[in-house]
Amino acid sequence: MATANSTKSRLGVGHKSESEWRSIQRQQHRRQFLNRLLLTIVTGVIVFIFFYPIWFWVTASFKTFTGIFQMPPQLLGFEAIGSWWSTVIGGRSYLEVVHETVGANAGTGGGGTVGYYIVPFLVNSAITGLLSTLVVISVATPTAYALSRFNPSGKQNIIFFILSTRFMPAFAAVLPLTQIYRFIGWDDTRIGLVLAHVLINLPLAILLIKSFFDDVPTDLDDAAMVDGCNRWGAFWRIVIRYVIPGMGAAAVLCLIFSWNEFLFSLYLVRIPDLSTLPVFLSGFDTASGGTEWGFLAAAGTAAMIPVFIFILFVQRSLIRGLTLGAVRG
Amino acid sequence: MAQPGGVTVGLPSSTAEAPTPKRGFFNSANPWLWLSPALIFLIVYSLGPFILNIVMSFTEFKARQKTFTFVGVDNWTDLFQDSRFHNALGITVQYVVVALTIQVCLGLLIAVLLDSRPFGVGLMQTLIILPMVTAPVVAGMLFRLLTHSEFGYIDYIFQNLGIVTKDEPLIGGKGVYALMGVLIVEIWQWTPFIVLIVLAGLKSIPTEVIEAAQVDGASAWQRFWRVKLPLLRTVLSIAILFRLVDLFRVFDYVAILTAGGPALHTETLSYYGYVNTFQQVKFGYGATIGVFLMVVVWIVAFSYIRIFRMKW
Repeated sequence: MATANSTKSRLGVGHKSESEWRSIQRQQHRRQFLNRLLLTIVTGVIVFIFFYPIWFWVTASFKTFTGIFQMPPQLLGFEAIGSWWSTVIGGRSYLEVVHETVGANAGTGGGGTVGYYIVPFLVNSAITGLLSTLVVISVATPTAYALSRFNPSGKQNIIFFILSTRFMPAFAAVLPLTQIYRFIGWDDTRIGLVLAHVLINLPLAILLIKSFFDDVPTDLDDAAMVDGCNRWGAFWRIVIRYVIPGMGAAAVLCLIFSWNEFLFSLYLVRIPDLSTLPVFLSGFDTASGGTEWGFLAAAGTAAMIPVFIFILFVQRSLIRGLTLGAVRG
Repeated sequence: MAQPGGVTVGLPSSTAEAPTPKRGFFNSANPWLWLSPALIFLIVYSLGPFILNIVMSFTEFKARQKTFTFVGVDNWTDLFQDSRFHNALGITVQYVVVALTIQVCLGLLIAVLLDSRPFGVGLMQTLIILPMVTAPVVAGMLFRLLTHSEFGYIDYIFQNLGIVTKDEPLIGGKGVYALMGVLIVEIWQWTPFIVLIVLAGLKSIPTEVIEAAQVDGASAWQRFWRVKLPLLRTVLSIAILFRLVDLFRVFDYVAILTAGGPALHTETLSYYGYVNTFQQVKFGYGATIGVFLMVVVWIVAFSYIRIFRMKW
């Protein structure tokens, strides 16, 4: 073995038979494996610490009343019940479930009048999210194309302006918007909230989709225009096809941020008929006694699960989106 | 238009017959036509509120008559003498500095660990994303339960470690540790952001560079500090920019977890502005805080962008 010989002569080690070399190799492999195992354990523990609160929340929504408060909490193999979910998604009466899970005397305390049926709010969140995402993507895509392909004077300033809207503190925009909406009669309307969500997501979508356009060579536009398309034709018939994955990623991220958004939803729509899920959830009083925890866990889980499913599809574009295209994951 | 002699020059006819550029705004070669829908929307929706905010910061809202009266710079002079504002400013700065330091250090560590390819790295990456996409409101609620002084396991662990006591739990009590409680959520939710950014940066380092360092006899420790970290400067500066901006505006966690209390120990600027605007109906003063916060964030963000010469 050439490598073995050269190593041997370089290190000045005495003669070793092939089987001895093989056992050394095996030892090295084992050491590498053990190192990697140690690394896996350390990393796994840290990742688990980050993941655990979510696991706790999801499992708590299936635990019995006493199971939720067991210390230390049970990871797996707990007794599973569906009572909390039957109220949150199924609309069963709150008191009935409390009676069944907590016992006869409990449940008369805090929150007795609170409804935990979240389906209408899920629907509101979904409608608001879908409408605002539709507007965002259709407005952002041409803008992103222009920022990627044209070089108008002051382009960098336009980009800074778009960025600056991303940096705006929500509460500083909410107050003027409530005043404006009251003036034009848009307070407590869905269109007002949808457009506010467009404001939040538009900078992200524009700059994210622009970064995808930047990846498409301009030769493609030139070729299309040589063949008789004008700019719009080049964009609409040819180039846009290559950024559809980017548009999809942007759409999913916009949907998620709209779904999670709190302050605008809280103040622009103050009637329960149109309230989104985070607003509804924020109304629960978590500080009072423990009877509510099972419902809260189920409601919170219901708010998280759609996002978790969606994020799996765009995991690779998440960082690109959150940094507005500046870092490519 | 062919040449009179019928001799074609080697060019395809289409270049010779380049479409005569149409003039006017509604021409698809005009960049402003493309940009105008988004720009008009953003001007109306972000510049509009901003200007209205500035105007309102010179007025006072009379709740009974529901009218704004002009009061000059009173709000601004009040602002700089308001001790509650100073308190909020101090807490915000404290919050930003502590959260950013821990997030960056912890994020770097986790990213380097994940980059060394442990078993199941794909699953771990997916799991660590989940905190980041949880709604802040839901995260706040979740941690309100987890830091509950009787039933919450985080508070239980902290009590056993001797960090907090039964009378002074994380959330509640006199509020000594309340900011720490809010910071836990912040760190839990946004450290993964740094992790993912650094991971993206580590992946973009060419393997030749690392191998060259290895051949030159650099240890793993040296390879990290002398080779990788300097190459991560760009991605790290972007990560810090986005964290900085978000940290300055922190609102959701405070609102859900502590409502600024106990005894203003967790009242950040955003939350103080919100209290003025929506709880005390002092629209003028709330707007003043809003303008102040917005200008601070913009100055920080744009000087940062200039210093690190970022380009989009």
